Amino acid sequence: MTSKLTYMGSIGLAAITCVAATPALAAGTTAGSSITNTATVDFQVGGVNQTQQSASDSFVVDRKIDLTVEEDGTATTEVVPGQSNAVTTFLLTNNSNEVLDFALAATQITGGTAKHLGTDSFNATNVRIYRDNAVTGTVGSFDPGDALVTYADEVPVDTPVRLFVVADIPGGLATGAVAGIQLRATAREGGTASSQGAAVSQTSGANTAGKDTVFADIAGVNDGARDAAHSAADDYTVKTATLTVTKTSRVVDDPLNGASNPKLIPGATVEYCIAIANAAGGAAATSVAISDSVPGQLTFVAGSIKLNGTVTGSTCNADGGTGGSYAAPVVSGTIATIAAGQTRTLVFQTKVN
Amino acid sequence: MRSALLLAFAALLPGQALAADQIALDNSVFVERVKTDAAGKQRILLEEPKVVVPGDKLVFVLNYRNAGARAADRFVITNPLPAAVRFADAGDTQPLVSVDGGHAWGRLANLTITLADGTRRAAQPADVTHIRWAFQKPIPAGASGKLMFRGIVK
Repeated sequence: MTSKLTYMGSIGLAAITCVAATPALAAGTTAGSSITNTATVDFQVGGVNQTQQSASDSFVVDRKIDLTVEEDGTATTEVVPGQSNAVTTFLLTNNSNEVLDFALAATQITGGTAKHLGTDSFNATNVRIYRDNAVTGTVGSFDPGDALVTYADEVPVDTPVRLFVVADIPGGLATGAVAGIQLRATAREGGTASSQGAAVSQTSGANTAGKDTVFADIAGVNDGARDAAHSAADDYTVKTATLTVTKTSRVVDDPLNGASNPKLIPGATVEYCIAIANAAGGAAATSVAISDSVPGQLTFVAGSIKLNGTVTGSTCNADGGTGGSYAAPVVSGTIATIAAGQTRTLVFQTKVN
Repeated sequence: MRSALLLAFAALLPGQALAADQIALDNSVFVERVKTDAAGKQRILLEEPKVVVPGDKLVFVLNYRNAGARAADRFVITNPLPAAVRFADAGDTQPLVSVDGGHAWGRLANLTITLADGTRRAAQPADVTHIRWAFQKPIPAGASGKLMFRGIVK
């Protein structure tokens, strides 16, 4: 009797071990794996243990093709006119239960509303796609170690892959110009590294007992539901500095009246104020170089340059610090930064010949 | 030992109940799908597991029958959960469950899981590793019954 019990126990253990060997991934059970359910009955008849009975049922897990493409972040990519390698970032996630390749296509919209509510008004040039190197370089940011790709090779399940759409921005664009970008990924057969697999097709007609393929993806910005593809949008918005220059002058004093109601007579001091205004809503302007030729009838007053001064309303405050230089007949100076919405000045004095 | 091995293999053959001179046990699985008909009414359909993908709801049905001439006593049906299936519920069949690979048994509400830091939390359906129905009364000759539980493909 004892030996019989032990013997039955070993059967039960063998069955459990075999069934538990079915691999289970976090993303879902791998396509093609078999799920076997086994139930056993232990019972007695007339107080005597009987041979354990068992029954099993098995089926194959089919292949679910599902993916998402989404913008990484929630803001537009701000660019300046003429910028090279402007980057928008997307995340591609393989939600299927199998490793797959994904064909990639970056396109631009023409007119219409872009992702961040601006109206598409220009096209970027030289649009390329890079896959983030998740091991070396700056992981998560576009860097020279990232690979230029046309498809995402062997994308593991449930592990987002970061893709960079990189483009060049034409020159001569105004603040607020928008270029809408869309990235679409389409599932391809995986399994062979470094080569793009064949197109994936959904099992048509009757179900089979083997591994079928079912498309389960949702619709994206330029693809439909259950088409093995998904897409998302992002955009570039131009933010540049728009500078306007205003030059004003006033008589500071003359040799007869002094500073009281001075007149523009020979020997009078004339102060020039060059005001550079950077329009609000744009980007800061840096390294703003100003130069002005002193007319031949005037003589530059040495040491009179004041740089980086301010205005109040439209009145030049004639303030500022030292800086700038004079190389006859040109006065010049460079202001490091003029923030959007700010006005900065270069002030100098001359005497009437 | 050889016969034990043979039995172990036979136990894993799909859809096949062992030759039972006493007890006939049948194990089947269905996929539970919700379909909306033309009138907008939702119907729950049980389908053969032809197309099964992760996230699908499964219904496991165990049919048993005492085919012998005498009553079967101490009747215990044990069903280890396949590794790729997460337990959901067992309807009103009131099984005992194990959350530790079949060592300790009890009602799910009474079981706990020991966490890495030594504290314990209440067991959840997802923790279930084995299901067991232990009958208090003998199964009379010729009597049959049905048990079920639901699971989700991981």
